[in-house]
Amino acid sequence: MEKVILLGGEAGKGSSKTSAVLGKTLTRMGYYVFNYRDYPSLIRGGHNFNVLKISDKPVYSHDNSFDIIVAFDQITIDLHEKNLKGDGFIIADSRLKGKNVVAVDIESIIKNLNAPEVFGNNILLGALFKSLGLPMSSLAKTLQEEFPKKAGMVESAAKAGYDSVEKKTEMPEVKGNGKYFISGNEAVGSGAVAAGLDIYFAYPMTPATPVLHFLASKQKEYDIIVVQPENEIAVVNASLGANYAGATTMVGTSGGGFALMVEALSLQGMSEVPLVVYLASRPAPSTGVPTYSEQGDLKFAVNAGHGEFPRVVVAPGDAKEAFYRTMEAIYLANKYRSLSIVLADKHLGESNYSFDDFSAPSVKPGRFLMDFKGDYKSYKITKAGVTSRAVPGQGAFVRATSYEHDEYGYTREDAEWRIRMTDKRLAKIGQLENEIKNLDPVSVYGRGDNLIIGWGSTKGAIIDALGGLDGYRFMQVSYIVPFPASEVKREIEKSRNVVLVENSATGMLGDIIAEQTGKMIEKKVLKYDARPFTAQDVINGVEKVK
Amino acid sequence: MDAEKLVTGEKTGRGDKTGTGEKITWCPGCANNAILAAVKEALANLEKKGVVELKDVVAVTGIGCHAKIYDYLNANGFYGLHGRVLPTAMGIKLGNPKLTVIGFGGDGDTYAEGIEHFIHACRYNTDFTMLVHNNQTFALTTGQATPTSEQGFKGASTPTGAVEQPLNPIALALVSGATFVARAFALDVPHLTSMIEQAVQHRGFAVIDILEPCLIWHNNNTTQFFRQHTYKLEESDHNVFDINEALRKAREWDYSSNEDAKIPIGVFYKEIRPTYEEQWQAKTWHAIDRKPDWKRILAGFK
Repeated sequence: MEKVILLGGEAGKGSSKTSAVLGKTLTRMGYYVFNYRDYPSLIRGGHNFNVLKISDKPVYSHDNSFDIIVAFDQITIDLHEKNLKGDGFIIADSRLKGKNVVAVDIESIIKNLNAPEVFGNNILLGALFKSLGLPMSSLAKTLQEEFPKKAGMVESAAKAGYDSVEKKTEMPEVKGNGKYFISGNEAVGSGAVAAGLDIYFAYPMTPATPVLHFLASKQKEYDIIVVQPENEIAVVNASLGANYAGATTMVGTSGGGFALMVEALSLQGMSEVPLVVYLASRPAPSTGVPTYSEQGDLKFAVNAGHGEFPRVVVAPGDAKEAFYRTMEAIYLANKYRSLSIVLADKHLGESNYSFDDFSAPSVKPGRFLMDFKGDYKSYKITKAGVTSRAVPGQGAFVRATSYEHDEYGYTREDAEWRIRMTDKRLAKIGQLENEIKNLDPVSVYGRGDNLIIGWGSTKGAIIDALGGLDGYRFMQVSYIVPFPASEVKREIEKSRNVVLVENSATGMLGDIIAEQTGKMIEKKVLKYDARPFTAQDVINGVEKVK
Repeated sequence: MDAEKLVTGEKTGRGDKTGTGEKITWCPGCANNAILAAVKEALANLEKKGVVELKDVVAVTGIGCHAKIYDYLNANGFYGLHGRVLPTAMGIKLGNPKLTVIGFGGDGDTYAEGIEHFIHACRYNTDFTMLVHNNQTFALTTGQATPTSEQGFKGASTPTGAVEQPLNPIALALVSGATFVARAFALDVPHLTSMIEQAVQHRGFAVIDILEPCLIWHNNNTTQFFRQHTYKLEESDHNVFDINEALRKAREWDYSSNEDAKIPIGVFYKEIRPTYEEQWQAKTWHAIDRKPDWKRILAGFK
């Protein structure tokens, strides 16, 4: 049993925060919640909304037909009323007009409490809770935590709303077993800290900015620093500098900022100083649709940077994976002195997910520094291609260079060194290929002769769609570079119908699969309206192309 | 350490303090050799004084003739990207504040490609030194105008003479908040050495604009021109703690090669201000043997 609730209102009036409080409360009570956030690029006014799907079974995506609409303004009703289910209802201020409205007299409650008008959100939240037949005490606990400074007033407002309406619907019984409620961006930040982050460098850019804010708020707690230099070029070069000095750092950005970092990605390739980039993509080209979602940067992440050098591109499919994949990205960068890109998008980054539990990470964080003894060669040629890192200050002279070089890092332009060092760098590809075999580069869900292929944030909608499709299983490709070609090829070869699902206009993973496996995927379900897939979108799309 | 040996850079192998043994590929007679000698001597002197340990020194370079110094200095080195010396150096300092970081850039590198970093580095006041090899031309790309080329500079890309007004990096550094601003002449090695020693010892961002002739691509600002037109600030009654006086001195010369040019060299300005890295709330981020507890990190989301 599931309920889909839309909460909407003007930007800056708290609909996003209200949704997060609701999601957190319900998750704690034992429900599974997926919280989708939709907002235009403006600060005050406009129309923001969240869609929460709530269930007693795991849910990973949102939906476009609603059981309940909680309207903070008339526009919310006017825009979304048409998608209200037959037995659905709207919870709104008694001054707003719509069908099946449970009217709440916000004006007089505010007057009685002598509260500021923004507390209307909490009044409606209380009314929603009552209409769902849920206990006020559970909501009160989250409110106390989320609004420590004005807990009393917030709680009174919610309670007044709660008392002003009747129970309207039934929620399934669940056990309160303390689930996790976490967004993709929070998981990326947390994964970085769990992997030993010292410094996060970033310049603000939606939709990566929440990582900057999240880590900035945790600086004291984790003894890290969060630095916002003058632009993305400074960000990435400072990150390389700090990593050279022995720190573990990460940078975060979106497409335009990533474009500015590209020259330094290539510097990473030559200098072999570890570098970790979180790329949260948004609909492009150029400024595109800044606060919405698309998977259009896949090939950019795979190919960015001049010259030939190894890299890792890993694409988590939900917030839980974002935690582990970020840890892996940092681990691989430090261990192999390589470039790691964690590729996600707005939908994954800014949506909240519920999880029962997290298991122990499969990689152990580390700086992979060597104790310097004797004559240190920064680029010593070894069979594996990886030279252990020393850092300046230990006694060894440590060199990092953008120029072709010998084993010490002195500049060389002759053919012999060029070949030896190119071979040394590229030898890391084989090492990375071996290492990611143990990191579940590919996951297959469900059973069936037919196959849906996808990557990244479409995972939730595709998994939620499998029940509505006949004989389809889902292959999620998580490591894009190095590409797990043999696993992908095997799955394709044993399938009847093969359909690629991608939040883009061209289906770039299909091109990568063709390049890596020789397999052409003809059937594609593509969505490029800057909005993420719902399960229904996947079902409709697959039915159409199959 | 023997300063003489440092200066000559004799070939004695790797890991030895006397030089790297790399073949110097600057043009014969290039003033960059003098800058290299001054840097080596300054470091040797500072090591003798116990101010600096050579194992902690990191030389960061951009791209251009100046950057070859990476191969000739027997120290830690980061041969970075054109224009990006300053953020790279800041990152190194934040990654390990115990290191002594010295950035090397050209005038094209620092004042064209990387000018935005220059302004912000002055503002941030991270504790490192920036030495700008300013020969008023792009030399390694065969002689184009840079932001400090004089008006009328003739190069392959400006055959009829550059029309742009030169940038005054000293004035820019001063208004951008740099806490140690100096100018030197490359071929006055003892004076340059002293400037470098002061800059490295300064707590905060220290910049020295080092004027040097380019024997190949710049016909106007020659060794003789600089010898005739420079004078030392410390030999005047200049007050290095007065920002307005420093600005007035900075504006005495507009990077032209005019007959009546008066070019002050020496320290224009000094100020004590908290450094970037000492103002963070986190205090030991760079020295931690971290043992992150993934369970505790995730507990906040329950």
